[in-house]
Amino acid sequence: MRTLTQPGAPLQPRLLVEWAAPAEDLRVRLSAGQDLLCGLVTALASRGVDHAAVQVIAADIARMAYLTGAEDPSGARVATYGPPSHLEGPVTLLGANGILGPGPDGDTLLHCHAVVVDAAGRLHGGHLPPGDCLLGAGGAVALVTPLRDAAFAVAYDSETNYPLFQPRKIPA
Amino acid sequence: MSETAVFEEGRLGRIAVVRIRPNEDLVMAVEAACREHGLSRAVVRSAVGSLVDAALEAGDRVIEVPGPGIEILTLAGEVRCDAEGAPRADLRGTIADGKAQVYGGRFRRGANPICITLELVLQEWLPARPADD
Repeated sequence: MRTLTQPGAPLQPRLLVEWAAPAEDLRVRLSAGQDLLCGLVTALASRGVDHAAVQVIAADIARMAYLTGAEDPSGARVATYGPPSHLEGPVTLLGANGILGPGPDGDTLLHCHAVVVDAAGRLHGGHLPPGDCLLGAGGAVALVTPLRDAAFAVAYDSETNYPLFQPRKIPA
Repeated sequence: MSETAVFEEGRLGRIAVVRIRPNEDLVMAVEAACREHGLSRAVVRSAVGSLVDAALEAGDRVIEVPGPGIEILTLAGEVRCDAEGAPRADLRGTIADGKAQVYGGRFRRGANPICITLELVLQEWLPARPADD
């Protein structure tokens, strides 16, 4: 198994674990014409949910962009994102996992990766940048697990030289 | 006569909010998290992250995908205990490489090093009666 030398010294522990309190899951349906990620963040905020694990079960997409990984030519990090790939709809989402929590500026961020199939039957997938996934006629359905007592919040990670979601206790 | 279906009644319990740091193996790190924190049965509720390189099992084949920066697109699976009581993770999903090519399969134990991070939410599965695993 190949490993890579990160820009910063390895941090301990290698596994970070916090315990969140069980909560009622939420099924949420988004209507057409809105952005998948921004729509989910706004809808969940209206229910007071700003920390969650998200499974997108279904989405019909009119147009979207996604990012895949690449080596970082600057050497500042071991990997970065390449230029965006754009897809014109109808695109059918097959699955997506997301983590919802406060981002580097405190605004709620949904970090989401998705696998989709385009109108010609080709598979695509990657990181979804916010604001670039317009829902088509069928909208979207997501299953949301709100996280209480502990959740993810973005903090700078000196090992990878990235701001990353880290498990954190949430003060009551 | 063998049984054609085996049911296990239960419910979902505690939720583990997990991050796995770079160069740790995906499957072994999930098993270690469960072992160190007393989770003997769990299901994946969400996961977002990347791999240095990927190795996926599909039938008798092993699909090896060189990285770095392989995106984990979807991850599903469960953790159960083996005969010795050690947690074993069965994780399946889809990935995309740097050429935006998508692959799927079962993540091979000891062959999927984390690249930047894995953000993972596991939820404990609590059988109503003692389970055989």
